[in-house]
Formats: sequence, structure tokens, C-alpha cells
Amino acid sequence: MTRRAMLALPALLGLASPGRGQAPLRVATIDWAVLETSLALGRPPVAATELVQFREVAVEPPVPDGVADLGLRGTVNYEVLQLARPELIYITHFYESSVPRLRLIAPVESFTLYAPRVDPFPAAEAMMRAIGERLGIAERAGRYIAETHAELDACRQRLQALDGLPVIPINLGDARHFRVFGADSMFGAVLARLGIANAWTEPTNYSAMAPVGLEELARVPEAWIVMIPPVPADASRLLGRSAFWNALPNVRAGRVLTLGSIDPYGGLPAARRFARLLTAALEQAGAAKRD
Amino acid sequence: MIRPLFLHRPFAAALAALALVALPFAAVLATRAPLPGDPAIVAPLEQILLWHSLLPRFVTALLCGAALGLAGLLLQQVLRNPIADPSTLGLAAGAQLALTMATAFAPALIAFSREATAFAGGAAAVALVLALSWRRKLDPVTVILSGMVVSLVAAALGAAVVLAKGDYLFSLFIWGAGSLNQQSWDVPLALAPRLLLGFAASFALLRPLTLLALDDASARSLGVALLAARLAVLVVAVWLAATVVAQIGIIGFVGLAAPILARALGARRLRDRLIAAPLAGAVLVSFTDSAVQILGSATADLAPTGAATALLGGPLLLWMLGRIPPTVPPQMTSGWRESSRVRRPVLAVSTLMAVAAIVTLGALVLGRGPDGWSLATGQLFADLLPFRGPRIVAAGFAGAMLAAAGTLMQRLTANPLAGPDVLGVSAGGGVGLALVLFLSSTVTPWTMALGAGGGSLAVLLAMLLIAGRAGTGPARLLLAGVALGALSMAVVSTVLAQGDMRGYLLLVWMSGSTNRVGAAEAWIAVASCVALCLPLFLFSRWLDILPLGEGVSLAVGLPRRLGRLTLATFAALLTGIASLLIGPLSLIGLVAPHLARLSGFAQGRHQLAAAMALGAGVMVLADWLSRVVIFPYQIPVGLFAALIGGPYLIWLLSRGAESHD
Repeated sequence: MTRRAMLALPALLGLASPGRGQAPLRVATIDWAVLETSLALGRPPVAATELVQFREVAVEPPVPDGVADLGLRGTVNYEVLQLARPELIYITHFYESSVPRLRLIAPVESFTLYAPRVDPFPAAEAMMRAIGERLGIAERAGRYIAETHAELDACRQRLQALDGLPVIPINLGDARHFRVFGADSMFGAVLARLGIANAWTEPTNYSAMAPVGLEELARVPEAWIVMIPPVPADASRLLGRSAFWNALPNVRAGRVLTLGSIDPYGGLPAARRFARLLTAALEQAGAAKRD
Repeated sequence: MIRPLFLHRPFAAALAALALVALPFAAVLATRAPLPGDPAIVAPLEQILLWHSLLPRFVTALLCGAALGLAGLLLQQVLRNPIADPSTLGLAAGAQLALTMATAFAPALIAFSREATAFAGGAAAVALVLALSWRRKLDPVTVILSGMVVSLVAAALGAAVVLAKGDYLFSLFIWGAGSLNQQSWDVPLALAPRLLLGFAASFALLRPLTLLALDDASARSLGVALLAARLAVLVVAVWLAATVVAQIGIIGFVGLAAPILARALGARRLRDRLIAAPLAGAVLVSFTDSAVQILGSATADLAPTGAATALLGGPLLLWMLGRIPPTVPPQMTSGWRESSRVRRPVLAVSTLMAVAAIVTLGALVLGRGPDGWSLATGQLFADLLPFRGPRIVAAGFAGAMLAAAGTLMQRLTANPLAGPDVLGVSAGGGVGLALVLFLSSTVTPWTMALGAGGGSLAVLLAMLLIAGRAGTGPARLLLAGVALGALSMAVVSTVLAQGDMRGYLLLVWMSGSTNRVGAAEAWIAVASCVALCLPLFLFSRWLDILPLGEGVSLAVGLPRRLGRLTLATFAALLTGIASLLIGPLSLIGLVAPHLARLSGFAQGRHQLAAAMALGAGVMVLADWLSRVVIFPYQIPVGLFAALIGGPYLIWLLSRGAESHD
């Protein structure tokens, strides 16, 4: 018996055990939000895209080793996808153009999470519910959604003890530009549910607006500047000696935070991760301020 | 006739320039939305914004424009080519590649110095180009040709790295589009002394510069040490442009437009143009920079300034086409026009086709899977064929079509730089695609095809309109193509700079990926290749006569207008369809015809057939490599086309040079 078969054996036994008498649906996904969602439901897909990058950018939930890497999201390796023998392929509407190719392999189901001026949070909830139903684990999906609401509520409670200033979620492009996440981003949606104002009230394109000149930060002197990685290597050094940056009231008052990496186009797991990291960072910074 | 404004009324010209710079900037200050909030907090912030952001930005725009105008003038003078500019030497692409690679693989370099990294990349690209053309004593045509090959390879490599790293590198789009936002005086303080030094050097080189515009023999007889003089001027120009690229990014078209603008305004003598071109560049960039700030929203510019200068510069250049004095198109120097002819061209073409067929067969069966390398047979072959078949067929036929289009364009314009990418037709497809991505919320293959096809067709029609106008010589047609291409790429860079999912889709298209090709697209490739290429062999006499120039064409009774128009239509249609399939970046339309001619296929129809076979073979090989090299990830096929074709072309060029020295 080969090593591969040895490794597959427990999985096969595990699959047979639920007693329903049928193997779970073999699902593949092109989109990261779907990948996050199905991982959070404990049903890893047979194949997904850009796993190397996913582990670095989205960080959680962890991807088990058995998931086949389909290559880049923009150039899906159809040959690998075919050989993974999925029975269902999930996409989001960004990948609509690859549907004819994907249909040759398996039926395709599509979600729309991010659209201009639309709150992505209900869409992410609906997606989790739909995936749960399709995989026969609707209950687990319902539980995860309830947990999400509970976690957001808990964070909201903790944040009420703090200064209540608005937050501007940004991602630095270089030392002179940033991209900002608006109300139709997942970060914006979570801020609204945490009872914190998003300091960026201008419209965005597809949840983020870029490039914005760093000088625009002068418009939000009250806000906490919350940086989402990646932070370019030279940006923090250049900012440190920038007269403009150091004159910003937020910077002078220490209202600058850098969170851990989060997928900006994620689903509910990314939303929870943002809420958790932001609350912890604000609490820590707030505590430091009181000293 | 334009009044020689600059020459006779220098003060009026200076005043006009001042007005064009100062009034828009005043408007920027006046229309700027005031900061909201408590006046006590806001007042010092407004001061800081004015002194540390708005003013340095204004000065940076002027300095960048002047440096690029001067660099462009020097390059055009020394290369004797009206379409030479900093990007022709591979400088911009080299600098961008260095930044991309450093960001992806060695962030420490970026932390050390972003500018130094970009400068090193740009200088390395230029050094490579000069080394490649050293044997030919930096012959202008060879320099430009090598520069374009190096640029395309660098651009393809850069796009591949960006794609492989996901949306990670969006800062590079900003940089690539040349945004002028400033929050300190660092950049203007770095630019100003370099610009002054560049000026001093240019005036010191005034005499050799003037003589370099003559042909080699006359310049030599007047006692100019050709090599040393050219090298000195090139170093100054490259250094100026590299400084701007390193500090700001790519500011499109200014290096090209400013010298032409200066000449059109009446600056004839070199001494005058050395003042007028930088002035024109400064006005152009400053005006554009003010415009994007006024027209943008309260918080964001309308477009990155570098992209916007190309938006202004493109139409300006098109409008001025009729006004610039006639220039001599760069002729192919004898070194590689007269390669030894193939004895039995038909047999040789058949052999090339057979090789292409064998490569195709290999690409169909040999591949990598989750369990390693395999020869696909039986069930596995049947499973994989629906995915392998169409992309290989599409790559091969698109390669053949681009090769045919390139052959037509090079023969049509008698210009070795002509190619589908250079004439802007493929870039036009990108604009159409960008429009579709903006206007519709869902993207289907049909809307994508419609958008890209429509864009290509629009540029094609514009090119035909220009080509059909009386007095449009080959050089002007090429210039018009470059203008339209840059205009189109400016629109595409603006979309890329948004850093969102639509930008990502455009990047995938731009990098030339055959991955998304299905059976329908493959059949379209076959049908259009057959329908468009077979008739070309009926025109083989035109192909032989047109490169000889207008006099000969008229003498042998060729219907000149009709001949041009027909061949141009074919070339544009071939390009439009092929770039839809494999993207606009492939080098194949430029390289395959060269390879065919350098291999000794001299007659029009032989060159055409050989170029098509070579184009198809190279593209299939490139497609196979793109599939297997970093499996399961895929590198765009355009990259491998450039990586295979580029070095080979360079090798053949240097071989041709040896046999003639």
C-alpha cells in the first residue's frame, strides 16, 4: 500500500461514519471567501486557488494539506481542477468569465459578495447559509452565523469602554499613497456592526478606493489610522521622517495601529478576524494611552 | 504655417508658459475643499498641506516635465528617430521590473532605497541595450530595436511577478502610472540639482549634438568621434530620465511630446530647442497635474498624472502629425537586410511547418499533473484535451496571425520597429475591455470579447483614417500608432491603479494568458487565420514593392493608396483578433518577421509563410512552458514568447553584424 493510500484511509473511514450512507459532496472553489467559509464549516474543498498566498494573507482558518492548489485566481489551472474530480464548483461574480470552462468539469454556483454601495455582510451570511444547506450541514452554518453575531456583540461591548473615535481602515501602497476601505467593504461593514464610525465617508469602487494621496489623512484628524498589511518595507521608515506625517494629530496622539494580515475580500471568517484583531489592538493602545 | 513663436517672441512664449502653469495651479488652490473640523486644529494642518504637499507637488511636476523634455530631445537627436523617448531604451520597463522583483523577493532592497533600486534596474536595462548594440557602434536602429526587445521582456516578467503575488503589489500600479502626490520636499530637492547638471552637460555637448543629427558619414567627415559623442549624450539623457522614473514613476509621453511641441512652436536651432523642449515638458506635466486635481473629487485625483499626460499627449501628437517637418524614417541598415538567402524557400518553409507541428504534438501529450510529469494517453488524454487542445490551437494560430500582421506592418512602413504592439491596435483592445469592466457589473466572455474587439476596431479605424490622409508617410503612421497605443495604455494604467478586482482582470488579459480560451475561441482562431492569411499570398507582389518606397511603387504602377489601405486593414484585423486570444504584450508580431528575414526568406510571400510558421511554433512552445514551469501556477504565455523570441532575435542581430564588419 502506498503512503498516499495510507493517508487517505482514515479520511475514507471518517467520511463513511456519519451514517448517511453517502460521501459528502466534492467541492472546489475559485474564490477565497468561499474557501474561508467552507474551511470554517469544517468541510475543506478538494481544490482551491492560490493556497500559498491564502495562508499568508487570510491566515485563518488553516488549510489542510490535502487541498489541491489550482494556481492563480486569475488563471485557474483547469487540468488540476479536472483531475481533482469536483462535483460542484463555487465562484463569486468576479470569475464569471471562466464559467464556460468550469462547466466542462462540474456544475457551477456563483455568489455576489462585493458590489458598489452594497453592504457585503448580509451577502456573506447568505453565502454561508447557502453553502451549509448545499453540503447538508445547515445547522453548523446557522451556528457559525450565531457565533459571529455573538462575537461581534462582545467586541462591541468591549469597545464601548474606549474612546469611541472613528476608524479609517487603510492599506499603504507606498510612503505617499494608500487604499482606503469604505462602507461597502467588509471592514466598513464590521465597523458599522461594532458601533464605530468609518472615518472615510466618500464613495469607493468595489469596497476600496485607491490610490489616495497620504495628504487626505489631514481630513480625518480624529480617526484611528488602522493599517491592514502588507505594509511596504520602506513606507514606515519614510513616514517616520516625514514632517507631514508627524504633524498629523492622529499620529501625534499615537492613534496609529497595524493589524495582522486579513483578506480584504473575505467572508464571515475574515469579518470575525478583523473584529477580533481591531478590538484587541484598540484596547491595548487605549490602555497604553491611559498610563 | 505656424508662426515661429518661440524664435521671434521669446518673452511672449515665456509669458504664455507662465500663464499655463500658474493659472491652473491657482485654480487648484482656490477650488480645493477646505479641511472640515475645529479651526484651531485645522489651521496648522492647512499650512502643512500647503507647504509640505501642494507646493512640493507643483514644483515636482515642473521639474519632472523639464527633465523628461530634455531627455526626450537628447534621445531623439542622438538616435535620429522622432519616436525615440526614455521608454525606447528599456529604461522605464527595466526600472519597474527591478522594483517589482525587489518588492516580491528582496524587500530589504526596497527598505534600503526604493529610488536606488529603480535606478539600478533602469541603468541595467540601458546598459544591456547598449552592450547589445555596441558591435554596431550604437547604430540608432539597433539601439531602438534592442531597447524594445528588452522592454517587452522586462514588462512581461514584471507582469508575471505581479500576477504570481496576487493583489499584493498594488503600489507598483501607482508607481507605474506616475502619481505626483507629495508630502515633503525630498523629491523636488533630489530632482532640481540633477536637472541643472543635465542642462549643463547638454550645453557642453551642443556641437557634437548638432552634428549627430546628420548621417554617420557626414558627421564623421566633420570630425565627430561618433561613438564617444553618442555615448556621452545617451548617458546624460538616460540619467535624467532614470532620475524621474526612480523618483516618481513613469510619466507617459512627455519625453516624446515635448521636443515635438518645441519644434512646432518654432524652435528650430538645437540651442533653442534645448530650452524650449524642457519648457514645453514642464508646462505639459504641470498643466496636467493641476487638471487632474481640479477635475478629481475632493479626496482623489481624476487619474494618476503620469497616465493623464499620455491622455493629453496622445491627441496632441496626433493633431500635430500634419505639422511636424518631414523626417527620414529609420531605414534598415544594410547589415541585416542582406542576410544570405535561403536556396529553396518552399522546402525550408515546409520544414518550419513540420517542426511547428511536432512541437504542437509534444505540447498536447506532455505535461505535469499532481503526481508529476506524464505522457497523456487514453482516458487521461481525453480528460485533458478539452483544456489543452483549445489553448494550444489558439496560441499557435494567434502566433501565426500576429507574425503575419507584423510582416505586413514592417513591409508596409519600411520600418523595423513596426509591429502590432507598436501600432496601438492591441492596446486599443485593452481600452474596450476596461470600458466593459467599468460599465457592467458582471463580466462574461461575450462582453469581454465585445469590449476588446470594439477597442481594437476603433484604433484600427483611426489608424486607417490617418493612413488614408494625403501625405501620411511611414514614419507618421508609426508615430500615430505610438500615440494611440500610449493613449490606450494610459487608460489601462488608470484602471490598474484603482487596485481592485477589475484591475486584476485587466492585468490577466494584458499578460496574455491562453488559459481562458475555450473550444469556441479556438475555432475562431483557426477560421480567422485561414480567412485572413490566405488572401495575403495574392498580394505578394505588393509586399515586395512597398518597402522600396513611394517612387518605385508609382513607377511599377502599383495602386499605392489602395495597396496600403488593403494591407493595413488585414494587419489590423489580424492583430485585433489575435490579441483578444493571447493578449497585447507578446513580442511575436515584432520578432517572427525578423526571424524569417534574418533566416534568409527575402521575398514577401516566403517571409510571410516562414514568419507564420515560426510565430505558431514559438507561441505553442511558449504556451507549453507557461503551463509546466511553475506548475500548478501558470506564467502568462506572453512572457515566454518574449523570453524565447527576444534573446534569439538579439543573437541573430549580432551575428548579422559580425558578418558585415
